[in-house]
Amino acid sequence: MQSLAIETRALVRTFKTEKGHITALDNVNLKVKQGELFGLLGPNGSGKTTLIKILCTLLYPTSGEAYVSGYDVVKESNKVREIVNMVSGEESSGYGILTVRENIWLFSQLYGIPDKVAWERIDELLKLMGLEERADTRVHKISTGERQKMNLCRGLVTDPQILFLDEPTVGLDVNASRTIREYVKKWVRENGRTLFLTTHNMMEAEEMCDRVAIIDRGRILACDSPSNLKKLVSKEVVLELETSLFDGIDLPYKFSIEKNLAKNTAKMRFLLEDESVIPKIISKLTENSIKLISLKKSEPSLEDVFIQLVGRGLHE
Amino acid sequence: MNNLRRNLKAVYARAYVRIVGMNREPSWVVFTIFLPLLSVAAFVYVYKATAPPEIINSLLARVIIGGAMLAFWMNVLWGMGNNFYYEKELGNLDLYLMAPISKTSILLGMALGGMFSTTIRAIATILLGAVLFNVSFTLESPLSLGLVFLMTLTSLYGLGMLFASLFLMYGRGAWHTANLMQEPIFILSGFYFPIKFLGFFIALLASFIPLTLGIDAMNQLLGGSFAKKWSLLPVNLEILILTGLTAVFFALAVKALNFMETMSKKEGRLTLRYM
Amino acid sequence: MSILKTIKYSAWLGWEMDSNWTDPFLFFLYSIVRPIAGTFLVVLMYWFIKAPEDLFSLMFIGSIFYMYIFNVLFGVSWVIQEDREHYKVLKYIFIAPSNIYLYLLGRALSKTIVTTIAVLITGVFGVAFLGVKISLTNPLLFLLTLALGLTGIAAFGIIMAGVSLLTARHNFFIGESLAGLFYFFCGVIFPLSVLPSWGQIIGKMLPMTYWLEATRRALLGFGDPSLSDMPDIKILILLVAFAIGFFFISILSFKFCSNLAKKKGILDMTTWY
Ligand SMILES: Nc1ncnc2c1ncn2[C@@H]1O[C@H](COP(=O)(O)OP(=O)(O)OP(=O)(O)O)[C@@H](O)[C@H]1O
Ligand SMILES: [Mg+2]
Repeated sequence: MQSLAIETRALVRTFKTEKGHITALDNVNLKVKQGELFGLLGPNGSGKTTLIKILCTLLYPTSGEAYVSGYDVVKESNKVREIVNMVSGEESSGYGILTVRENIWLFSQLYGIPDKVAWERIDELLKLMGLEERADTRVHKISTGERQKMNLCRGLVTDPQILFLDEPTVGLDVNASRTIREYVKKWVRENGRTLFLTTHNMMEAEEMCDRVAIIDRGRILACDSPSNLKKLVSKEVVLELETSLFDGIDLPYKFSIEKNLAKNTAKMRFLLEDESVIPKIISKLTENSIKLISLKKSEPSLEDVFIQLVGRGLHE
Repeated sequence: MNNLRRNLKAVYARAYVRIVGMNREPSWVVFTIFLPLLSVAAFVYVYKATAPPEIINSLLARVIIGGAMLAFWMNVLWGMGNNFYYEKELGNLDLYLMAPISKTSILLGMALGGMFSTTIRAIATILLGAVLFNVSFTLESPLSLGLVFLMTLTSLYGLGMLFASLFLMYGRGAWHTANLMQEPIFILSGFYFPIKFLGFFIALLASFIPLTLGIDAMNQLLGGSFAKKWSLLPVNLEILILTGLTAVFFALAVKALNFMETMSKKEGRLTLRYM
Repeated sequence: MSILKTIKYSAWLGWEMDSNWTDPFLFFLYSIVRPIAGTFLVVLMYWFIKAPEDLFSLMFIGSIFYMYIFNVLFGVSWVIQEDREHYKVLKYIFIAPSNIYLYLLGRALSKTIVTTIAVLITGVFGVAFLGVKISLTNPLLFLLTLALGLTGIAAFGIIMAGVSLLTARHNFFIGESLAGLFYFFCGVIFPLSVLPSWGQIIGKMLPMTYWLEATRRALLGFGDPSLSDMPDIKILILLVAFAIGFFFISILSFKFCSNLAKKKGILDMTTWY
């Protein structure tokens, strides 16, 4: 128990809406060890944010239990709050009238960080994020990406035992994403902290996380290291097709479609048990007058694990 | 101990935003001190046009005191009441709810910051008003006056803290209610004429608004014999009641805050927009 | 045709936004109760001091028609604030193909309609219970005055909206303060003659002063004694100039201000603290 950073037991969360009850989390059982980089991978609306909110004491579970560092998130929420922090890639927090530095300082004060320590850490963090030139700019003038970096600084400035990141790099360019990933990873490793990350970017999950849980419609479908997860599809053949754009097609195989409207093409990714069906697929496509542009076999990724488990792509 | 320090820091930090925010807009001085004086001036001239000379000074003193206290009322309504709602819109509310502090500290910080900057505005209104309209105040008991002012502010901002949660829970409905309340409260709190004129019973009901008793007491202490003739209750009693109101509003504010926090966690409703 | 459509659509949108997509009845109640209470505050002051009847009537008419100045003039400039910082839709309105000037005009229209109801309610109440004697000696003068005045006020509001594009949240104070300015100098609730002479000069330079005066003359049969040397026709000409002049100024100045705001990149600033 002591060495677990996060534990949930039969966690359920439902929401009342006009249309009835939504089950956002359905019997979630997770264990995250201290010092671990843990990822939660799932499509939109699968319950990632809901789980984070419960673990950050912003939401009660409908049933089940959740512990953070051994503290019950409902009964000992104050203990939990002292040791966690959370940053969401979508948040727009802060006061437009304050500068970047002041905003981070403001939120550090809620955690009782002594002034001197806070200012030192802020300057250091801003430098690492490449924001030092923006330090004295008012928040209403900075860009979305800069804002996201500022938010990350806000999360790190309190030096939490467990950091929750809810899609931290959504909308960021490749370089900024990489900076953030590398820094967070280093920070976790060097300080023995724990990271709980949600994403629908499988590359991010694969690159950053020691273990990944795959969630869909509130249920955890699998939870293991990326390489072990990929073993789930090791026997499968992964086939990547680039085709002309089309509306929809019915095929008796597991596959995902990613449309590229700009190029007027579609990328199909098949997860096949047996290579011999490839000709069948191709003839089926031609029957539907879909033009084949390219075809290649590729390495299984976490995305394929998702296709395997759910029967559709992560981004559909 | 640690906990207390953390909460005090939070109070200070939230107040800091208020004060810095106000001072960072250079237009602040003109718009918050000089121009509001004009609406006070309008009421001053109503009395100049209609009142007999022997009571005019006392009436003008009332209008100026009213104008100064009005600044606090506006600040409580639009600075305090609306604030959680705006924090939610901005996405800050969850960050406050998630922090290891009492949410009351955030409200206190807001209140202190608002009080500080509004006090400057109020003092300026009184000084400028007295000079421009040639009004003299008969200061009778500085100690009582200080006490009255203090207790009026604490009860008023206690009410503001209560509003903050109510406004959030009831959303724009509360906003409309506040809008609806603004002018009736100008009438009921005796800003511009003694509330006793409306009859003792209405005046008593109006005393639930902390401004009413505060303004009545201040007029008794500053407005000379005419103001005393129209006084509602003895000053000391008014101070006592204001102290009671402070306690009541504060307790209710904490209750409403807890209710709001619990409800948001249970229903997931107050935090819908964020994330 | 499409101009009318935009205005109609904006008026409807304005209504929806003002009533916040909720119970229109509630909103209606509130936007009427508030200005009426403002009038009664002054009514009570006059009663408290037992002021003469004529003075009371002048104040009463001034006070209820001031509602237009407050609601429409400041309402429209507040639109910018609200759309920018509360609904955060301002930039989308700007990039939409419909004309933002017409959009504001539509919002002004919806505010004018709501205010008219408040004015009617208070007016009827005043005649029925407060002893205000409406003689309506000159209905034509009244209608003409109303039309010209409302055009000028809407245009003025749009000029202010342009200014709001460039200022921070303090245009809450600008609104409050300018309201005070007009309330004071236009002789809304007291005759101009009590003002010091410099104040009277300023008052006589503001178009709203003449609008209120013409309205009083048309409804009561008499006006502010300190303006009695102005014949009706002269006032009317002034009002025509006010309406047309401000209309053109508002088009030009709004264009100028929105271009400047775009240049400075502050169309979507938020300044809450
Ligand atoms: N406060 C709420 N009230 C009602 N329903 C909610 C609430 N919060 C979340 N939901 C619903 O619960 C489900 C899970 O939502 P959640 O935000 O956890 O998904 P997510 O995995 O974070 O998605 P995304 O990738 O889009 O951020 C969704 O169907 C959502 O509509
Ligand atoms: Mg989410």
